[in-house]
Amino acid sequence: MADIISIARGVFENKKADILIGYTKATSEGRTRPVIVRSADEVQNLVLNSSCLNNLATYLTRKENKGKKVAIVAKGCDIKSIVQLIAESQIKRENVYIIGVKCNGVKRSFEGEDSKKIAEKCLNCNVRTPHLADETVDMSDEGLTGKDEKAELIEKLDSMSAEERFAFWEEQFEKCIKCYACRQACPLCYCERCIADKSMPRWVESSPTKRGNFAWNIVRAFHLSGRCIGCNECERVCPAGIPLSLLNRKMVMVAKSEFGYESGMSADAPTLIGTYDLKDKEEFIK
Amino acid sequence: MENIYKPYLMEIKEIIDETVDTRTLRLQFRSEEDKKRFSFKAGQFAEYSVFGEGECTFCIASPPTRMDFIECSFKQVGKVTNALRRLNVGDTIGFRGPYGNWFPVEEMKGKNIVFIAGGIGLAPVRSVILNVLDRRKEFKDITIIYGARSVGDLVYKRELREWQGMSDVRTVVTVDPGGETPDWKGEIGFVPTIVEKAAPKSDNAVSIICGPPIMIKFTLPVMMKLGFKEENIITTLENRMKCGLGKCGRCNIGNIYVCKDGPVFSYSQLKVLPQEY
Amino acid sequence: MEEYIISLEDLKKLADNLIKEGTDLFLPSPDNSRFVRLKKADELKLAPEARPSDISAKQAAFPKCDPVLFYKRDKSTVELKDAEPSANQVLFGLKPCDAAAFGIMNKVFNWDYKDNFFNKRLENTLVIGLACTYSDDYCFCTSVGLSPVSETGSDIFLVRLSDAQFAARAVTDKGIQFVKKYSQLFAKGDSSKSKPALESIKGPARKFDSKKVKDWLDKNFETDFFNPVGDTCLGCGQCAFVCPTCHCFDIVDEDYSYSEGRRMKNWDACQFSLFTLHASGHNPRDNQAKRYRQRVNHKFKYYIDRFKEILCTGCGRCSRGCPVTIDIGSIVTKIGNLT
Repeated sequence: MADIISIARGVFENKKADILIGYTKATSEGRTRPVIVRSADEVQNLVLNSSCLNNLATYLTRKENKGKKVAIVAKGCDIKSIVQLIAESQIKRENVYIIGVKCNGVKRSFEGEDSKKIAEKCLNCNVRTPHLADETVDMSDEGLTGKDEKAELIEKLDSMSAEERFAFWEEQFEKCIKCYACRQACPLCYCERCIADKSMPRWVESSPTKRGNFAWNIVRAFHLSGRCIGCNECERVCPAGIPLSLLNRKMVMVAKSEFGYESGMSADAPTLIGTYDLKDKEEFIK
Repeated sequence: MENIYKPYLMEIKEIIDETVDTRTLRLQFRSEEDKKRFSFKAGQFAEYSVFGEGECTFCIASPPTRMDFIECSFKQVGKVTNALRRLNVGDTIGFRGPYGNWFPVEEMKGKNIVFIAGGIGLAPVRSVILNVLDRRKEFKDITIIYGARSVGDLVYKRELREWQGMSDVRTVVTVDPGGETPDWKGEIGFVPTIVEKAAPKSDNAVSIICGPPIMIKFTLPVMMKLGFKEENIITTLENRMKCGLGKCGRCNIGNIYVCKDGPVFSYSQLKVLPQEY
Repeated sequence: MEEYIISLEDLKKLADNLIKEGTDLFLPSPDNSRFVRLKKADELKLAPEARPSDISAKQAAFPKCDPVLFYKRDKSTVELKDAEPSANQVLFGLKPCDAAAFGIMNKVFNWDYKDNFFNKRLENTLVIGLACTYSDDYCFCTSVGLSPVSETGSDIFLVRLSDAQFAARAVTDKGIQFVKKYSQLFAKGDSSKSKPALESIKGPARKFDSKKVKDWLDKNFETDFFNPVGDTCLGCGQCAFVCPTCHCFDIVDEDYSYSEGRRMKNWDACQFSLFTLHASGHNPRDNQAKRYRQRVNHKFKYYIDRFKEILCTGCGRCSRGCPVTIDIGSIVTKIGNLT
């Protein structure tokens, strides 16, 4: 099977795309970083391994990439976000050339103890073989293992009283510095003007105060409910270490259990938030 | 502890609607002491605030020769300017300033002066015009060329009429083609065209230009053609600002703090700055 | 310089005394993500081998959200009240790349108007620095005029001699007074104790010539150099917010009741697309490459032009924490090699 460099070369030689978004080595041995490649001459530094943590789909909706034919290296989870972007009419299927990665899981983090563990999102992955791709590439299996610690924490949070849960999140959100790395890294945070940046009226307080931090993090979680595909980039990039996946995963669980919906699986299926169904449950409306 | 972020409190004494979306406020210090202590020069700016909404930056539109009121003119565009518009006579606003440098009025003594302004760009220029007119004898020929998109967009109409009635001031008012009304008696044409037509003399002359970037861009070559020297063409920049104190890092162009080293720059100074304004 | 010896036990006693006196003690959190208040003295840990905390200590003088005044509205009148910066604090175990940052920021906060919120906080802060034995691919303190053992910005500087013992140098008058006040905990020592420990510290591998970087930046404002960075930079504020020297801020009003509220200085970042957006819709820095160019120029050219200091301590936080690993160290190294 072809490696990422020859596949990328083929993309340009066969004029399948104008640009290619992939991974390259970062300064430190254990890291990769995103790179945009524009010709076959630039493909030699592309890499693909279990340190390819970024979800590159976040670049698809950028102003400067719109209207271009874009090739993208995407793991199963990343493809889910591409599917969701198509379903939400943000990009067109014919404008994206998906190099799907057959992935056995990526590291939890670039460095430290977590770099020896598998990312939690990979433990229950149902898209190790890409579900939407123009061609596929293998990624070596490094036999990463690990435990889903967040699953236990979600259960624990569920069993808490509202006050206890509030106290938990109060402590977490207090750390937020409003750098918006979560939003910028998220492939589904594509709003041209985010509600956090709107000032007339100011819906979300811009200050990193308790109230402002609650408002931002909860509004974002709600806006991703029924949409988040669980790539967990927001949590990975958060410099303050807020466990955002606890919110997002809970939302994913609710979408599934209450509405039988899983985002990012089919570009043709109606979206959860965008569709009204007479059979939708409404007992939660009080 | 001295608090550089603390504004003076001012009372709105009068509201004058200049156009549909542009308004002038006449302000007075709430405290007599503040009033006594306060002084400024034409071209300086201030941070005006509506408490609960925030601050915004405008020049002081009145001249230092008229200290009964401080005037500011603003267009309703953002959060704070919208809030400013909701205020009434008698209400309180915050005022921090004066900040920045000023137009070289003292160096302009004994010279011919050409004022060129577009739209609400007349506000900072007005401060100098009134300042110069209040000290008329110290200056030679005065030419004012002012243009707006339409008749309805002309600001300070009462003063434009006053200036047009003065025998020792040449005032040319123009509106963009299509912006005239049936009874419009002034010029029709974009500011650069009208400047070329009016052809103010460049000998012993200083020009103050203020308006939208596009107007300035096309007026500068005309001024060069008319023989104005780069160092005698003076304008004011309006980069986005927050603190006005050379701290917050928002208005920088290269190593320049527009709020401290500006906002007034000559064309020769501007030419060497990075194109980030 | 006066040098003393203090055991970890005595440092804990010192911390206990300070906490009891009502002084706030700050040190890196157990997960090393940020600086947190020490609640119990026996939890005090000094780790020269740890990487710099993910978020710097700059909040001690420049908090993420700093109230400057309180207002109260009543019909048409307004009452203002000054905000007062908080009480005494001690920063424990600051790395040289954190300690030096306060002096650098001090320049901009005082070059003309004096920002007394910053000043007062700094005045009320005692910095206990710690010689650093960590370095990775993202560290470059020795290229910006510092080193893992520089005492700049520390009032007291600690050097670990063993797990249980530290050499302590009183660097500033404030430090000397402090040691005097708690003299029963500090034993007299001399530099022969700390010298071998300091000499064994190698420092980061990355080296570049900051003068050459500036030379190139002086001549190359219009450039394609930053385009590849602009390609992948996400435009978040992580780099600025974790940085010990980034000091840009916004001024924001927030009501907390119908008639009352406060005005605050909030951290802001030049990488946000809205940072320089004019009310008219015009944006002088209208793409990410231009915004990143500003970041590099502000740090390695403009600040030097203006204040004779590099606006960077080489801590590497911005690069280590960057969601897309944009590495400022490797970028300026490249720039240095262009001249």
